[in-house]
Amino acid sequence: MNSLKGFSAPIVAGVALFGLWEGVLSVFSSDGFVLPPPSEIAGAFIDNWDAVFRGARITGFVVVSGLAAGVILGVLAALLVTRFRTANETITPLAVAVNAIPIIALAPIFNNWFGLTSPRSNQAIVVALVFFPIFINTARGLTQVDRSQIELMESYAAGRARTTREVRVPNAMPFFFTALKLATSLAVIAAIVAEYFGGRQDALGPMITQSAGLTRYDDAWAAVLAGTAIGAVLYASVAVLERWAMPWHSLIRSHREET
Amino acid sequence: MNAIHIRGATKVFNPGKSSQVEALADIDLAVEPGEFITLIGPSGCGKSTLLRLISSLALPTTGSVEVNGKPAEQARLDRDYGMAFQTSGLFDWRTVAKNIELPLELMGWSKADRRRRSSEMLELVKLGDFAKHHPSELSGGMQQRVAIARALAFSPSILLMDEPFGALDEMTREHMQDELLRIWRDTGTTLVFVTHSIPEAVYLSTRVVVMSPRPGRIAAVIDVGLGDRQASTRDDPAFFSKVTEVRAALREVEG
Amino acid sequence: MRIARQTATFVLFLALLAGLYTGYKAFGQAIDDRQHGWAVVGSVLPRTDDLNMPPISEIFGQFWETPGGQDRIYIRILLDEAVFTLREAFAGFLVGSAIGMAIALALAQWRRLEQGLLPYVIASQTIPLIAIAPIIVIWGRKNFDFFPWEWQDWMSVSVIATYLTFFPVAVNGLRGLQSPRPENRELMESYAANWGQTLWRLRLPASLPYLFAALKIAATASIVGAIVGEISAGVEGGLGRRILREAFNYTTGPDRLFASVLGAAVLGIFVFLAVTGVERLVVGRWGRGAAA
Repeated sequence: MNSLKGFSAPIVAGVALFGLWEGVLSVFSSDGFVLPPPSEIAGAFIDNWDAVFRGARITGFVVVSGLAAGVILGVLAALLVTRFRTANETITPLAVAVNAIPIIALAPIFNNWFGLTSPRSNQAIVVALVFFPIFINTARGLTQVDRSQIELMESYAAGRARTTREVRVPNAMPFFFTALKLATSLAVIAAIVAEYFGGRQDALGPMITQSAGLTRYDDAWAAVLAGTAIGAVLYASVAVLERWAMPWHSLIRSHREET
Repeated sequence: MNAIHIRGATKVFNPGKSSQVEALADIDLAVEPGEFITLIGPSGCGKSTLLRLISSLALPTTGSVEVNGKPAEQARLDRDYGMAFQTSGLFDWRTVAKNIELPLELMGWSKADRRRRSSEMLELVKLGDFAKHHPSELSGGMQQRVAIARALAFSPSILLMDEPFGALDEMTREHMQDELLRIWRDTGTTLVFVTHSIPEAVYLSTRVVVMSPRPGRIAAVIDVGLGDRQASTRDDPAFFSKVTEVRAALREVEG
Repeated sequence: MRIARQTATFVLFLALLAGLYTGYKAFGQAIDDRQHGWAVVGSVLPRTDDLNMPPISEIFGQFWETPGGQDRIYIRILLDEAVFTLREAFAGFLVGSAIGMAIALALAQWRRLEQGLLPYVIASQTIPLIAIAPIIVIWGRKNFDFFPWEWQDWMSVSVIATYLTFFPVAVNGLRGLQSPRPENRELMESYAANWGQTLWRLRLPASLPYLFAALKIAATASIVGAIVGEISAGVEGGLGRRILREAFNYTTGPDRLFASVLGAAVLGIFVFLAVTGVERLVVGRWGRGAAA
């Protein structure tokens, strides 16, 4: 009953949004419009299923592998850097500033380094883009710990590793998952835009730009839809993983909402 | 005319749902102008809920609440009361003086009047030197004093306080109690004060309202009648006998 | 004092990076890239010849050279183009922030709307709109004729920056508007403060720390949007287009590509620091640590 209620509002809003979108475009002539009605996009998606599916697999591989590598590197870096107080105090603010660099601008350089037609340069972009938010947030979570919890562990004469495991890591979990959710959509966008500069020509990125170049906007949007689907699946997986990894967190939240 | 008059008030949260909670039942209470009432009782006895009914921040499920002879809602719109909470609830982005001036701004006071009033109030709570400080630069006790100054700034006829000294250390707490009594005497405000502490309730109030839990009811109303409080009152045998009386009443409700 | 220390670490970091780059290059050159069975160098890691990794001295030296057919030194050209890109990004940043804040206000006001729309606001960000930048530019030229002014290509790029900007502002703005604690809201209610007064005196100031966290992200994102938009839409005059051109001429001037990418990096950090500076001025001493 309660869980059903949580879903009803988005469904109502969704039906209203898509209905409005479809309706407005069927009243006004939609030919050559940059945004075709949803029915046309769905049609193009089904008509081009083979190409879209192949593209989604190629892009999906870049996204998932790049995301995994970026997350692992980011977490390792955070664990390493927060181990040393001064390193953390100097490097983490620095990473925040470095994160402001438009990483995508590195695409041409990466293409030369890793090969213009290889997906490796796309992966490299995804890794670089995912790394920073994961690193910054995890480092924050590992260090912004309640002082009294650390002192409690010290009073038990717990070792450093033990304190990290019992206090710092659980404390970092919400920070990490927030960053991971953000990283899923970043990874999809990064992969598709990076593919625009190089990489395999049958991936989603080139499919979007080529279709757009031929003013076949419905085909372009079908490929965009595939990218969105990759992002949605990843986001949902992370949300499930989050619940599984920290059951206490959703408990706290639902409790707070009630009172 | 009573300052506060509650007749047959009940409060049920989430009525009709599985999470239904009967917070208050059959509350009848009349408070004279200028009284100092404390509400005391075990956790979950609905004392904060009762305070919210009086302030019309929550509406009774049945029954009525009148403040100064009109419905509580109207009294709120007429800005008849000031409130203070367990946490000071100061706005971090405003200076101490600006925090005190907040209700005055909302009531359309002129800038000069606001200035004058906030400096008067700061003198009253003995924080004259801190007008330009931000709340984060003050100790917990000082923040709570600012919150009280803010509650008193527009001379409300009724002051509602929800465990305002709960988070303070014992020394600061006793000092604040004396400050509050002085302010109460000087202003003639009607005061309703929620607390967990028996000595605090006895020391402060003219009447102690003892409440029982699940659902919250008024179990006993104890007249304190200690007269003017002085430093020696805390060691007075009459004070201790009242403390014992309130404690006995509380024992009874807890079973 | 703190700024001095941070600047010092930053310079140190840059020096370290330059040292790493030069060291790796020297190492790769010494082992002739992959010839001694070092499969890592030249395959997982880039090759180290001057084409793939031009020496740092040449990258920086490039700044002071005047490219053929130009009347200005390279750093001057980059500066002018950075200003052009900044204008696109800033227009998008302003419009996007306004839209984001409007969404946040609406969602904060109507809880039903929040439950219904927030998932779509989040989903909207998985749509890689920057990838369809060329469509927006081409389409904008033809169809954005209902504005009182003539539609310029750079404005289409700003549209992309707008799209990237509204999201963090909407999400964080909503969190910020909802951040006041219950007792603060009850206080305003006990004063019988109306909606506008509560918004202006409580919700908006309380949201500022959250908002600035979002504005930093948005400022950076607007630069990314502008650069990618320029590149994919073929808008002339900005840094994005410059990077694409240097990528084409890579074999004859790899150092110019590196220099132009460096320019983009500096621009990104510049807008980030600019917003941080405004944040210090506005939020000042009360806001530190208020928003995680």
